[in-house]
Amino acid sequence: MTQTQTGEALAAEGTPVIELRHVDKHFGSLHVLKDINLKVGKGEVVVVIGPSGSGKSTLCRTINRLETIDSGEVLIEGKPLPQEGKELASTRAEIGMVFQSFNLFAHRSIIDNVTMGPVEVLGVSRDKAREEGMELLRRVGVAEQAEKMPAQLSGGQQQRVAIARSLAMHPKAMLFDEPTSALDPEMINEVLDVMVELARGGMTMVVVTHEMGFARRVSDRVVFMADGAIIEEGKPDEFFEHPTTERAREFLDSIKGH
Amino acid sequence: MSATNSTSMRDALYEAPGPHTRRRIRFWTAISLVLVAAGIGLIVRRFYVTGQLAPRYWELFARPTTWIFLGKGFLGTIEVSLMAGLIAIVLGFLLMLGRMSSSRVLSGICRVIINFFRGVPSLLLIYFFFLVVPTYGVKMSSFWMITLPVGLAASGVLAEVFRGGMNAVPKGQSEAAYSLGMRKMKVTMKIVFPQAVRYVIPSLISQLVVVVKDTTVAYVVSFPDMLQNARVLITNYDALVSVYFVVAILYILVNYAINHLAVSLARRSGTSIISRTSENPV
Repeated sequence: MTQTQTGEALAAEGTPVIELRHVDKHFGSLHVLKDINLKVGKGEVVVVIGPSGSGKSTLCRTINRLETIDSGEVLIEGKPLPQEGKELASTRAEIGMVFQSFNLFAHRSIIDNVTMGPVEVLGVSRDKAREEGMELLRRVGVAEQAEKMPAQLSGGQQQRVAIARSLAMHPKAMLFDEPTSALDPEMINEVLDVMVELARGGMTMVVVTHEMGFARRVSDRVVFMADGAIIEEGKPDEFFEHPTTERAREFLDSIKGH
Repeated sequence: MSATNSTSMRDALYEAPGPHTRRRIRFWTAISLVLVAAGIGLIVRRFYVTGQLAPRYWELFARPTTWIFLGKGFLGTIEVSLMAGLIAIVLGFLLMLGRMSSSRVLSGICRVIINFFRGVPSLLLIYFFFLVVPTYGVKMSSFWMITLPVGLAASGVLAEVFRGGMNAVPKGQSEAAYSLGMRKMKVTMKIVFPQAVRYVIPSLISQLVVVVKDTTVAYVVSFPDMLQNARVLITNYDALVSVYFVVAILYILVNYAINHLAVSLARRSGTSIISRTSENPV
């Protein structure tokens, strides 16, 4: 177990945007999260990698309580994540989430998908939301598709709309749960490009991914998980060049190969 | 749009026929046509033999009064069906919300109500409103004595139909809505239910057709619906088969109209565009 300096240095800087303390979770007899401790500072990009079934998606989903936890604490800007009601909803509104399967609202047009959050949750006027929504769609390069339905767009376009939908809420942090895993290879880069731009713009991000290139280029810190536990974390260069644990070495070897 | 959809649906469900199969399909189509024609011929012949085609059974339809009287009954049927359908849809929706509530008590109560309305024959409910309720001094017009029980009986089924539709909407849809900060009511009303409706349109149509057919029991409470008026005509003209024949066709037209209306409403609300987004893999 290596708690690296990055984590500690960061704690000194101020309150982390996202913090998990001794988080445990079981699915029946399966121990999916084992004593997870994680801090994500403002503007930091943390990439979570690991073999499938290691609990990385579950970890990501506990941060906005799409998954509940058995014990431990999830803190958002130093405050415990509310468990229900208006408080939970307004905390969720401050944290964007991008899913593997996009999850665009299938019965609404692209622009509606982007404006629904601001209009329904933040009470922004329809006109203002639309104006801002179009700007966001332009930013992710799908403005021409605004009036179409989600099913009429390619996977890469849908995922970019999903990112725009999250951005429309002006989130303090964004969670990406394997955002490119459901995409055809030629569409992965168009989504990653948007994410890189976000990271450069200073967005606080937790990214669960299999894209090692992205992890290397963009992340401030790599967290390696296996069997429900954080095995190792560190700066991307160090982690990829000199993994300290056997488990991480095995994993990196298994995905290199070609 | 929907035409291409249904073609692709057929292609997805059935293998495209080859030359041999196409020949066999043609063969059986011909056989069926012959059988249907023979059946119709037989019925017409029996009508003729038993004298049902005699003018005295049919000339009543040449009189405007017959049609006005039937028309009044037709309007009665429409009124009762609309009100009963409205009760069924609104109450069914509310029962579904209650049934899906996270409160165990509310959910349990709604489950009991749903199963009660689903399990009890609508005729029994009609007798209840007709015979039992008045003994408690509640005065009710025959209109409500037919619409309430028929609506209640259908509401139980519709609650379960709606619930099935809600459960069929991929979980990712509500997760995305929750992650935007929407609360349960908003997620249900704005995201899940509108999509659930799309899944349940066929069952919804069947159930509304059942409502229309259930209203024919209106004679029990002597509400002048189409069938009740038909019975009056039958007594007056002593023309049983012909009147029932015409009335049956009118009922079929009403139910066909419901079908047509539901499908075109669904299409207009854009629900025929099927989503490509899939369920979250675990």
